[in-house]
Amino acid sequence: MHTALILYTGAFGLIVIGIAGIVLSTHLIRILFGVALLEAGTNLLLLLATWQDGAAAPIIVAGRVPVLMADPVPQALVLTAIVIGVGVLALALSLALRVQRAYGTLDIRAVRQRMEQAIAAEAGVELPSSHDAPVAVGPVTAGREGQS
Amino acid sequence: MNRLVLLVALPLLAAFLLPVIHRVSAFAGRWVGPLTLVYTAALGMFFWSQLGDGAVAIDLGGFRPPLGISLYADQLAVLFAIAVTLGTLLLWPGLGADSVRRSTLALILAASGSGLALSGDLFNIYVFYELLAVVSYGLIAASGTAHAHAATLRYLIISAFGAALALTGIALVYQATGTLNLAQLAQLAPQKLDNLQGLAAFVLLLIGFGVKAELFPVNTWVPEVYATAPKRVSGLLAGVVSKLALLVIVRLLVLIFHQPEALHIMLVLGILGVLSGELAAWRARDLNRMLAYSSIGQLGIMFIAFAIPGAAGVYAGLAVALHHLIVKPALFLLAERWGGSLDALAGAARVSPLGAALFTLLSLSIIGVPPLPGFWAKLLVLMQLAEQDSGLYLLGALAIAAGAALEVNYLFRVAALLYQRPAGRPLPALSHHSADIVVASLLGTALVTGTFVITPLGAHLQQIASQAVDSGRYVQVVNPGEPR
Repeated sequence: MHTALILYTGAFGLIVIGIAGIVLSTHLIRILFGVALLEAGTNLLLLLATWQDGAAAPIIVAGRVPVLMADPVPQALVLTAIVIGVGVLALALSLALRVQRAYGTLDIRAVRQRMEQAIAAEAGVELPSSHDAPVAVGPVTAGREGQS
Repeated sequence: MNRLVLLVALPLLAAFLLPVIHRVSAFAGRWVGPLTLVYTAALGMFFWSQLGDGAVAIDLGGFRPPLGISLYADQLAVLFAIAVTLGTLLLWPGLGADSVRRSTLALILAASGSGLALSGDLFNIYVFYELLAVVSYGLIAASGTAHAHAATLRYLIISAFGAALALTGIALVYQATGTLNLAQLAQLAPQKLDNLQGLAAFVLLLIGFGVKAELFPVNTWVPEVYATAPKRVSGLLAGVVSKLALLVIVRLLVLIFHQPEALHIMLVLGILGVLSGELAAWRARDLNRMLAYSSIGQLGIMFIAFAIPGAAGVYAGLAVALHHLIVKPALFLLAERWGGSLDALAGAARVSPLGAALFTLLSLSIIGVPPLPGFWAKLLVLMQLAEQDSGLYLLGALAIAAGAALEVNYLFRVAALLYQRPAGRPLPALSHHSADIVVASLLGTALVTGTFVITPLGAHLQQIASQAVDSGRYVQVVNPGEPR
């Protein structure tokens, strides 16, 4: 009982920490760490869905069937989810590298501002004034801010 | 009947062979992708004609559920599988330089999209959804600019967040029921999932799959991605992929989650989507982002429609979804050369009269001017909303009406600009590529044809909808021995 409680607390804790990391961080690498933590928590929760204390691996060796077998389905699912998560994380890091090389910053607000400016410049329109975007900050200043 | 699996398997196979084939012969490499899709689309249509009003379940590898994974093909699923195959073919992104990589991604997009439509297993749906997501990151980043990479990265973060939430929802469902087969879930749901845990699972799944369906709080990626991605990819994502995510949500609602609260949550998010999307589109200063925001508004209408309980809601939602599926890709094709500032479009009708005529036609249909199909679809939604006795549904009808008023304003503004007298300078940059204008004309012709056959089309859609909501039949088809 206690083990289950600890495990469930761990799973939900990881999920909460992950979501908080994604929502509250401004550094792209920290946000990606948040994504990784969220995925870890989700995978743990998926495993816990049918977890039983002391269950053996569901493998029948020499005709001997274990008394208590673990449910293999969530384990197969989590394996798939981990593989997908690793692949997506690798892709995200390579994109972050490209963004860092182009913009010289990994601050999500600065990146967003630079991106909005580039899109607006490409379309040939002025950036609509917004209360969360400072009016006077140019692209060069934003880059320096992020690096310091 | 098992040949339906080829709709998923063949494009996947072609995608993995494509780099090798291209190395042997560049000519063959260019044609393998489109030809595969032509074949699978034909296969899908043949299957559709064989299917009639029946439904088929396919046990992959011969393993019966719950051990195996099953595909479920009714008219709704096959319709969307054909739509994603044909859509990828028409909006083929593998044109121009470096075509191999983009062709490979497009083929995987078609395969995973068909898989998503046909899948009868919740985890399989998750895997196909993730595959679709990863492929779309690659296609968006294919523009190669720094801001496309930034937009892709922001999209990836939101999408990964959504996928993790959906997986949490799946974990909750599995914890309560011990199965992920949709047919078995439909049987177990009334006892096991008609509670707070079931509602929480639905909300998590709704937000997770809502990322791709441009659902209100998780759609911040839409304007930046559609503005930076190649326009064919934007058309694919807005037109086809968003509908697939919506189809998954509708399946879950029909089969598993019967709580009225679930429908109300979707209705409220849909209303917020319509209002925020249409207002932002009205404020937009360039065509790309206007189309992106208007697509959020249109998807909001679909969420409102699908929130109407019963077959009536699925019927109305399906009508709006199919209309948008045809119109939005055509508009994005026109935006390929017109994507810049709206003011620069003044007099564009002189350079591209066909493009301007198409834009006007498509805009009229989106707004809902009779007798175009868009009018009938919107009318259907409003009529069904008026029949509901809850005030919330009335609010939905009001939101759609307000959205239509805004659409009239901003789309007519563009149409008026197109037919304005040009400001004395030549506008060669505004003429369309022939490939774009041909496909856009095809879609426009389909729209006009739809106007003439609207009555049989409506009857057919109604029949598809009433089949789709029959969860007892779903269970019967997947597990023939089970009682209804």
